[in-house]
Amino acid sequence: MSACIETKKVSKLFGGLTAVNEVNLVVPEHAIASIIGPNGAGKTTLFNCISGYYVPEMGEILFYNAPIQGQPTYAVAGMGIARTYQNIRLFGEMTAIENIMVGQYPRFKAGWIDALLSTRRERNEEREAIAEGRRLLKFVELDGLGDHLARNLPYGAQRRLEIARALASQPRLLLLDEPTAGMNPQETEKMTRFIRNLRDELGITILLIEHDMNVVMGISDQITVLDYGTKIAEGKPKDIQTNQRVIEAYLGPDVTSLTQKYQTRKKRRYDAKS
Amino acid sequence: MRTSAINNGLRSGVIFGVIIAAMFLIGFTVTGAGLIGKIFGVSSSYSAPAPAFFAIFIILISAWAGASAAPRPIAEADTLRQALSGGLIAGVVSGLFAAVLGLIFGGLLANQIDPRAYLPAVSPDSIKMFLLNQSSLMGSVLLFALIAASVSASAGLAFFLRNSGWVENKSKQTFNALSGILPAERAASLSRNPYARYAFWALSAAALIILPRAWGGYWNYVLGTVGIYIILGLGLNIITGWAGQLVIGYVAFFAIGAYTFALLTAPEPHHLMWNFWIALALGTLTAGIAGLLIGLPILNLRGDYLAIVTLGFAEIIRILLKSDLLTEFTTGPRGIRDIAGPTLFGQSFVSDVDFMYLIIIAVFIVTFAAYRLQNSRTGKAWFAINLDETVARATGINAFVSKLLALTLSAAIAGLAGALYASRNQFTGPDDHVLMVSVNVLCLVIVGGIGNIPGIFLGAFALKGLPEVLRETENYRLLIFGALLVVMMRLRPEGFLPARRPALENRDAPSPSGKEA
Repeated sequence: MSACIETKKVSKLFGGLTAVNEVNLVVPEHAIASIIGPNGAGKTTLFNCISGYYVPEMGEILFYNAPIQGQPTYAVAGMGIARTYQNIRLFGEMTAIENIMVGQYPRFKAGWIDALLSTRRERNEEREAIAEGRRLLKFVELDGLGDHLARNLPYGAQRRLEIARALASQPRLLLLDEPTAGMNPQETEKMTRFIRNLRDELGITILLIEHDMNVVMGISDQITVLDYGTKIAEGKPKDIQTNQRVIEAYLGPDVTSLTQKYQTRKKRRYDAKS
Repeated sequence: MRTSAINNGLRSGVIFGVIIAAMFLIGFTVTGAGLIGKIFGVSSSYSAPAPAFFAIFIILISAWAGASAAPRPIAEADTLRQALSGGLIAGVVSGLFAAVLGLIFGGLLANQIDPRAYLPAVSPDSIKMFLLNQSSLMGSVLLFALIAASVSASAGLAFFLRNSGWVENKSKQTFNALSGILPAERAASLSRNPYARYAFWALSAAALIILPRAWGGYWNYVLGTVGIYIILGLGLNIITGWAGQLVIGYVAFFAIGAYTFALLTAPEPHHLMWNFWIALALGTLTAGIAGLLIGLPILNLRGDYLAIVTLGFAEIIRILLKSDLLTEFTTGPRGIRDIAGPTLFGQSFVSDVDFMYLIIIAVFIVTFAAYRLQNSRTGKAWFAINLDETVARATGINAFVSKLLALTLSAAIAGLAGALYASRNQFTGPDDHVLMVSVNVLCLVIVGGIGNIPGIFLGAFALKGLPEVLRETENYRLLIFGALLVVMMRLRPEGFLPARRPALENRDAPSPSGKEA
């Protein structure tokens, strides 16, 4: 299997702080890979480097063996890397289907002159965009809600819509930043199945950041653990679960397994909220 | 509770009293009375209007004050007595304000002191009118009685109307009556019947062809100006309303269009005398290129740099046009005269009616273009940048190029408007291109409904057409703009006609999609 995305000794500095420190990461094609680590470990920063929002000071990022570091965000998106955000960032004043249509932007060509003259290309693309939007809405189980403003949708629907918008560009790599954050156990379960479907049905490589260890352990082919910007472990879920360094060095000495710690924490947080 | 009625009355009284005093001090009492006089067909452009009109003006405003002083019928404890006492308190308080004001200024007048030295709007005539042409004591007492009586009477009336449910019934009836011809229903029936749509368009076209001939030069002038501001509003809306980049010095592109057109067609500085249409196109193009050049260095920055840069640019353009430096080239502060009117097949048509047609066509073309752009791929990209530029970039939109395109198109449209404006007036000078033009356009876009095309039409008519018709209020335009903007931000931050998103999910969803192509 060839590598979909590969980072080679990527470092990102903010002033004196090393947010990401010489991280090597290889995600094979069609894999679901997770990045975990405590808050402030540099997970989102690494995401931002891959998606082109940050330019890493050192190292190389290869997407299907082509270097992409330093490229503008829109160009990276155009190559087939789409992402979602930790705190949902939809275009709230647009309808759901319009969000998806914006997501399809890189796929189409029609410019302003086409729009003014309503050329054949413009009309065909518009029709195709709407049809594809409808298909994606159905795929994320939002059919019938397409003409609602995105900000009026319920939380879970917004998460799914954000993924639909990311899928609209027909990406080869999907970066999901905490896709189950703020969800209850049932919703989390549903989202997990949904993510697996993405890979199985659409064949997209998925790289995700997640705090819910049930999700991470259940879904990942490969897990990378970051702490203070440095990679401290990598491997299959089983290896990580029993990796003494991961458990002790940064989860604290008094827990026996990763799952237990995060499960209790999330449950407590969820109970406190409701 | 009684205390609430008293408090309510006191508050309304103070507010109303301050409003009367402020209106008097800025001279709006004269304007208001003049407007009332105009309704009765009495023109009073040279002297202060008759006190009777002023009395009517005061009574009208009192009615509003009384209505707000009367308590809303929420609790059953509200009685007529309470409403009347609230109204009476409001009337007495505000009447006292007016009476004291009358006494002070009446006294000044009696002692031959001209308050105009400090308050330019308060003329002796306006004081006399304020005192209803009586002595200062008598006038103040009369004014007090008038205000107190009309406020409390209208408070009682308002209470009675509200309590009897008359207002509700009436508004419901009106709503029912109106909903018969409301756009939603009409649009629904129109979409069912294509012939109705053709008839509607034919009727509108006929009206637009006949009206400019029928309503005379004055209306052609006023509505021509409105039309040019509609074009400007639609242009500014692209960059500010859709792409969300604030442009304050929009007049710069208007000026560039106007001067390009003027220099190419006028006999005075260069004697080029080019063809109208070529000059019009070049004016549009030059302004667009100016927008492009302004945008190049700054549009990859985020935030309001564009606002600041265009603000400076507009002032630079205006001062350059006025300066001695370019007198040779642009005739300096004198402006350019005898700018060409439109020609067609060698025949010139420069009458106001012809020009009105031209403006109508231009408005139609720009509106059409705006509609086409609005929901296109490009338009969606602009709106995405407006809402969240970071995410828009991450979805593959080249924000810099998109914004640059928006600014260029905006600027080009301003250039078109400028060229039309210069050609219609057959004159353009630096004073046509003051910053106030930008502020006007920005205001009409915001007030009408930012990002919404019908809203811009409404805004242009309300902010450019109404003040032209109500010439008396000219001096207060800025004041009213300011107040209007504050009120709008408070009550309807999205404008009178907020933009709506189109319903797309089910567009050409079923089988006909294949056939339509």
